[in-house]
Amino acid sequence: MKALVTPRTAPRRRYDPWAVGGWLLLAMFVFLAMLPMAWMLLTSLKSQFAALQYPPEWIPSRPTLDEYVRLLSPASEVGREFLGYLANSFWVSMATTVLGVIVAVPAAYAFSRFRFPGRNLLFYAVLVRNMFPAVVFLMPLFIMMRWLGLVNTQWSLILTYLTFGLPLSIWLLKGFYDNIPVQLEQAARIDGASRFKAFLLIVMPLSSPGIIATAIYSFITAWNEYVYALTFLNDKSKLTLPVGLQKFFTEYATNWPGLMAASFIMSVPVVALFLILQKYFVRALTEGAVKS
Amino acid sequence: MSTATQARPPRREAGRNPGLLRRIYRHRHDYAYIAPALVVMMLVIAYPIYDTIYLSFFNTPPNLALEDKIFIGTGNYTRVLASDSFHEATWNTLVWTIFSTLFAFVLGFAAAIALNDAFRGRGLLRGILLVPYVISAVAASYVWRWLYHSDFGVIGALSVQLGITDIPINFLDNTDRVMAALIAVNVWKEFPFAMIMMLAGLQTVPDQLLRAARVDGASAWNRFWHVTLPHVRHVALVTILLLLVANLNSFTIPWIMTGGGPAGATEIWITHIYQLAFGRIRFGLASAYSVILFVVMMTMGWFYVRALTHGDDKRPG
Repeated sequence: MKALVTPRTAPRRRYDPWAVGGWLLLAMFVFLAMLPMAWMLLTSLKSQFAALQYPPEWIPSRPTLDEYVRLLSPASEVGREFLGYLANSFWVSMATTVLGVIVAVPAAYAFSRFRFPGRNLLFYAVLVRNMFPAVVFLMPLFIMMRWLGLVNTQWSLILTYLTFGLPLSIWLLKGFYDNIPVQLEQAARIDGASRFKAFLLIVMPLSSPGIIATAIYSFITAWNEYVYALTFLNDKSKLTLPVGLQKFFTEYATNWPGLMAASFIMSVPVVALFLILQKYFVRALTEGAVKS
Repeated sequence: MSTATQARPPRREAGRNPGLLRRIYRHRHDYAYIAPALVVMMLVIAYPIYDTIYLSFFNTPPNLALEDKIFIGTGNYTRVLASDSFHEATWNTLVWTIFSTLFAFVLGFAAAIALNDAFRGRGLLRGILLVPYVISAVAASYVWRWLYHSDFGVIGALSVQLGITDIPINFLDNTDRVMAALIAVNVWKEFPFAMIMMLAGLQTVPDQLLRAARVDGASAWNRFWHVTLPHVRHVALVTILLLLVANLNSFTIPWIMTGGGPAGATEIWITHIYQLAFGRIRFGLASAYSVILFVVMMTMGWFYVRALTHGDDKRPG
């Protein structure tokens, strides 16, 4: 499959009014998209006193990293809590991602290669997943988790995220397997490899971009998820970051620089992952809807 | 899409033809590959749907001792449909969903068109514009609460400094403005999704056609209207449907920014269901509410399936 953004011939005429309009539009979009992020960062570098000023100072006159130091040092109580949330988020997101790949790979391979009755089910599972609101699943899942004794454990989140991610992961991976010629496998099998060995040595390496795309998507989704974490976990020591933030800052009135610093720290892994692997992520988003 | 055509069996066989059991038996080993996925999905998707429908016919006790629930038939449904809060939430949901979708799509499409021409740094710009979409909705909601802050918010201060208003505008405590303020946040968060979808769609428009139209003297507008638009119609439809669904399902932004307030001005279906279920612990009532939402979703799902499956045949090339 060809890359989403294929280079085109550069426009010949320099001052096409449409192109200039496009540039202005883009500049405006970038400004609007980045303004809240910039303000998040700028506020996080202020002292609490400096943040509560009217009119606000745009650039902090005395920038300070105090809030970051406080959040990330295990010595302070706030820091211990925050680092705990951070660790919980990493654990939940990593477990979801790894388990998701382990379950999705064989399933996607089967959906791509085998012709068994009921394989259209996948399509509908992806659909159901896209259509139904997470909140609607909350009640029955809460009852189920309670029955399984998993409420207030991180496994309830991992299990939920895993499932909700699966249909899309399988769908995505299937797209990659569909594009790997069957002949490659057949050649390996003629040379004496078992089906499993052919899969492991030929198909897996070729589908690694798909696995990366799927893994990133799962990780980011799990990292950002809020409503299940809000509902399934009570124990302060078990919370993930999105919920942790809320609990944390309503207790001591609102420390805006602290909240912005925490939000910034929370956004860093996701934005970094995303910018490095943008190509795969974009593919994960548009796969299925855009046919090429 | 090549994958869809490969995926279909060569001949379409009816669901319950006599060979089905035999075919299942013949393919029994194939199911081993999908078994783990199937089990997990059944457990966490199929069962909850059943359970929601089941619970919607019961009055559930507030301590969630579900063995004490009382069958009340369609009582929950009549209660939901007759309540004022349902009507208010429905109106809010409509406003929220339609305006969020409209603005996110139009802005996203505009950004996609601007990004469609090749230029240096396009990848970087695309990445920057996607940042609002990938960061957590929780972080985004907090930042926007801070931007909208009634005393120290930047937007209020800016409007005073530019002489638009005398005092900082209060966005979140004003029942007339709060919905618009929340929709703005939502649009900021999800326009990149529309952008990336439409950009992918625009990349499939054949260059030769656009060049041919230009040689024939078609204006930029005509090239867009008669060449580009027919090609991206299908992607646009899918994008709009996905946005509609996402907006009907939004929870985090309204929940964190206003919690449905002030005075129910931003109460939409989802936040209301959450409040009923986990605020007031009325699972039965909330389930009936959810089932009503299911029905709306199924209807949209039907259009979505149609858009995905019928779109291919009509597309030229």
